[in-house]
Amino acid sequence: MLFKLVRLLRELRETVKHMIVAVAGGKGGTGKTTVAASLAFLLSRRAKVLLGDIDVDNPCSYTLLGIELKLFREIYAYRPVVDESACKLCGLCANYCPVHALVVIPGKKLIFVETLCEGCGLCEAVCPHQAIREGKTTIGYLKTGSIKNLDLIVGELKPGSRKYHEVAEETMREILKKTDDYDFTLIDCPPGTGFSVAEAIKHSDLVVAVTEPSRLGIYDLVKFKKLVELYGKKLIVVANKYGLPGGTYKELEKIAPDSYKIPYDDSLVKAYIRGKTVVEAYPDSPSAKALEKLSQLLLKL
Amino acid sequence: MIKEIAVASGKGGTGKTFISSNLAYYIYRELGEVVAVDADVEAPDLILALGGEKSRISARDYYGAYRPIVDYSRCSRCWKCVDFCKFGAMSRGKEGPVIDYSRCEGLGACAVVCPSQAISLKEAKTGVIYVAESAFGIKVVTGDLELGGGTSGRLVYELKKLARSFINSGYVIVDSAPGIGCPVISSISGADLLVVVVEPTPQSIKGSRRLLEVADSLGVESVCIINKHDINENLSAKIGDLLGIEVVGKIPYSRDVVESYSMMTPLLATESPLKPLLENSFSKILGILT
Repeated sequence: MLFKLVRLLRELRETVKHMIVAVAGGKGGTGKTTVAASLAFLLSRRAKVLLGDIDVDNPCSYTLLGIELKLFREIYAYRPVVDESACKLCGLCANYCPVHALVVIPGKKLIFVETLCEGCGLCEAVCPHQAIREGKTTIGYLKTGSIKNLDLIVGELKPGSRKYHEVAEETMREILKKTDDYDFTLIDCPPGTGFSVAEAIKHSDLVVAVTEPSRLGIYDLVKFKKLVELYGKKLIVVANKYGLPGGTYKELEKIAPDSYKIPYDDSLVKAYIRGKTVVEAYPDSPSAKALEKLSQLLLKL
Repeated sequence: MIKEIAVASGKGGTGKTFISSNLAYYIYRELGEVVAVDADVEAPDLILALGGEKSRISARDYYGAYRPIVDYSRCSRCWKCVDFCKFGAMSRGKEGPVIDYSRCEGLGACAVVCPSQAISLKEAKTGVIYVAESAFGIKVVTGDLELGGGTSGRLVYELKKLARSFINSGYVIVDSAPGIGCPVISSISGADLLVVVVEPTPQSIKGSRRLLEVADSLGVESVCIINKHDINENLSAKIGDLLGIEVVGKIPYSRDVVESYSMMTPLLATESPLKPLLENSFSKILGILT
């Protein structure tokens, strides 16, 4: 098992100077952030590391690393602004709006329902009276932070905004601008197999899929593996919580015969509750040792 | 009247599917009329937690997006469409605009602004919707979004609408995706109650707060169930105050839960001593809605 992993990583090291690693995996709560933050912490002792967090719904990597973030900039999307004095209530915009975010009460008022608006700009284009102009709305935030050799770029969705893909993509863009300055860029992905996970995989040299020995974890991993195959990327499956009583180990072996195992121990849970990575809080625990070993394999190679 | 209960959490892996599957099973056992919706369309697995699929009732492709198609023979390469697209989905190519479909929202603004009528819209398949009866007799409506897909919110609305068509009264249980993004907003909006599944960890509480901000903006009433409450009793005791909502149940960390999953059996269909805890929480939830 380890032999294959060592070979895969050696090949990578020979061809890639600034390695980009997407940490993802399908199901939620398998330990993506724990693995990404732990590896970032460990690698940064000997290399320059950038950790990008594109789990914009609820980014947690910085809390586990105890890093305080600063606002770098806001992320905007297009929103139409209606000039009521110029509006003749003709209703053309409402007819064209593909998501019915504009409604005209004849002779009275034009109502704009912001929560429905997707920001396509069609209303502005079709208005014959120039009563609609371009505006913008905040959909999220880019934040940064650092400790020693480790820099963070974190994307955060503004609660209530639907534009999670756009915020994740903008965060990815910012991360990709910087990757040449680092030996390793780790990308902490959201759960699932959607657009933003696909974006991260597309730009990575290596994908680390974090799973757990549960039926749902393995089931979601099957769909996730297809996504990785779609882009033809190198994949390491990390089986977290390995040894958890009642786990589905036979199925795991079938789907991921060469998985890298992180043993389940209490320290993992204890560290998580304290809001820390296990490698920092309990460096001598079996799970921390396994993560350390993985970081060494990535480094030395 | 149909009541809709959304089960969600700002953070992944806190036990949404565990609660949804058992809540659906409980209502099915006590009242009969229930349809479960798997709205985690990027990683759907609710039917597994309900015993797996016994029989397929229907399956159809989901056409969740329109795709602009360019007729290059008509294109005058004025680039109005490329300049106009607000999503960065169009770029200049040799013969005319090139479309990046992964960024395209399919709203068709490009077709409208094109002065040469060179762009038309075609419906595109972005996923699959299927309805099945699970081994325990519960009807489950599942959406499965194509890999790397981006139209999850609309798919979730479609699933909820379909679920409602199967019953005249009773309950629709929506097992939401993790997070607070587009599919989650669709899962929560229009629900009669949101059940937040929270763990006593800083990460889960942070996610729940973000989720409740969304629920508040949509005017949806919320309660929470604390899962694995015993991994941090101190923090568990504060969660109700921290989130400002009623705690309707506390479930301890237990091997029974893990094993019920690996047997593909809702915990309530086993002999676990934890059953009364779940049943009490669920009866409180139904009490709030009646």
